[in-house]
Amino acid sequence: MRTSVIVTALGPDRHGLLAAVATTVANQNANVDDVSQTVSNGMFTMIMFVSFDETETTLADLQATLAHTGEEIGLQIIVQHEDIFRFMHRV
Amino acid sequence: MVFITNEEILETVRMIQAENLDVRAVTVGISLDDCSARDVQEVCERIHDKLVQRAGRLVPVAREIQEKYGVPIVNRRVSVTPIAEVVASDDAESFVQVARALDAAADEIGIDFVGGFSCMVQKGFTRGDAALIDAIPAAIGGTQRVCSSVNVASTRAGINMDAVMRMSDVLLEVARLTADHGSIGCAKIVTFCNVPEDNPFMAGALHGSGEPEASINVAISGPGVIRNVVAHNPDASFTELADLIKRTTFKITRVGELVAREASRMLGAELGIIDLSLAPSPAVGDSIAEILECMGLERAGAPGTTAALALLNDAVKKGGTMATSSTGGLSGAFIPVSEDAAMARAAAEGALSIEKLEAMTAVCSLGLDMIVVPGDIARASLAGVIADVMAIGMINSKTTGARLIPAYGKKVGDWVTLGGLFGEAPVMPVNTRANDKFMARGGRIPAPLQSLTN
Repeated sequence: MRTSVIVTALGPDRHGLLAAVATTVANQNANVDDVSQTVSNGMFTMIMFVSFDETETTLADLQATLAHTGEEIGLQIIVQHEDIFRFMHRV
Repeated sequence: MVFITNEEILETVRMIQAENLDVRAVTVGISLDDCSARDVQEVCERIHDKLVQRAGRLVPVAREIQEKYGVPIVNRRVSVTPIAEVVASDDAESFVQVARALDAAADEIGIDFVGGFSCMVQKGFTRGDAALIDAIPAAIGGTQRVCSSVNVASTRAGINMDAVMRMSDVLLEVARLTADHGSIGCAKIVTFCNVPEDNPFMAGALHGSGEPEASINVAISGPGVIRNVVAHNPDASFTELADLIKRTTFKITRVGELVAREASRMLGAELGIIDLSLAPSPAVGDSIAEILECMGLERAGAPGTTAALALLNDAVKKGGTMATSSTGGLSGAFIPVSEDAAMARAAAEGALSIEKLEAMTAVCSLGLDMIVVPGDIARASLAGVIADVMAIGMINSKTTGARLIPAYGKKVGDWVTLGGLFGEAPVMPVNTRANDKFMARGGRIPAPLQSLTN
């Protein structure tokens, strides 16, 4: 069964942020289903829908590698199962 | 893939990262009905085995849920059948042994607290009830994680005033025994009217006789989220404000529902209830008093405070009820003084008195909670304060509780640090007019007319 997660990344803008996050996701064999990003007043905000199955990666591995990437590029990267958003905003 | 807007995603992230949204507690309610035995040592062993069997995986399961959804779960707890119903003894020492066994099991499985060192005496004491109450000072003074509650009143039975006096003595003794730590033992004792049987919050959690073998009860939180919504809408009318709070509470409660479902599935326990209480913490911004201030009151305690709290409490229930079909527990805004930094500040400045807190109790959850009073308070005065809170619960057919801390050696104005989520608070003055002749009458205040509903 595929697991769907939402990756949010927040922090000061600079070159290559989206590429760095996407590369980490790709290296984990996970798939980017959708992505959007904006820069406002120098602040970078990115929302990425990512999915994977158990043969590709795990939530814990994805969280750990993205946290490491976030430290390297100066972003706060949060990975959460999509159900929390679905539950909070839909009945 | 479910369509969720970017605004909704960022709102969720902001609630958790910037506004202290968390799940306050996942509590596993466990029946100890099958742990009774003639020999108290055997009771202790059976309780140990039952807690390990039913809640041994609670801590890793809570951690897994926390990481999966990115929402902190602050406390992991267990509530058990009231111990007076489990231990067939009239020897206080037997109950102290059971308290130690509960503490050891809680330590072994790594939970924060275990609640249910409790009895129900609203109509009178059994010999076992009396022995359990006698054991509370040694049980609480000699353990780390055990919490105790005694139900001394109900709308159906009235107020057992002998039990109220007895609880006053217990609190003064526990305050003395734990004097080196701000009399913190009293923070683990609640005196109740109409105690709920499925409450996930400590110190009053217990697993009542109508509950299943094991259940998951989840306590939501989120005062910081509500505070920010209120702060960002300074010109909203009362109706608009109530609507904003309802919408926000709906979202908070849905997180609790998700966590409860997941914990229930992973631990093989029934989904019990979601407690719709807004529980503050000493963290800045995570405060009920700050919500009241954002509504337009200079300090909690200003005229209008009870009305503001009534609006808040009602809106929280309405929003929460739409989010889950499993409401229960205490379900109302909490107004603890030491656990809410802005409430403690209001008390220190004289804006908030015990009498005002008592009025607030009539429109929200729990009652006089985490209030530090002088260590030399007369036993009848302390009992009288408890009796007043019980009367509000009895007449209004609601739960009220008293968690009072007569801080040993401390006087009005001194600050008492209780630590962690217990916070800190100033010693508040209590009316010193004599009431000992009233309290000495003994017996029970009869059940009110409200009890005759059949």
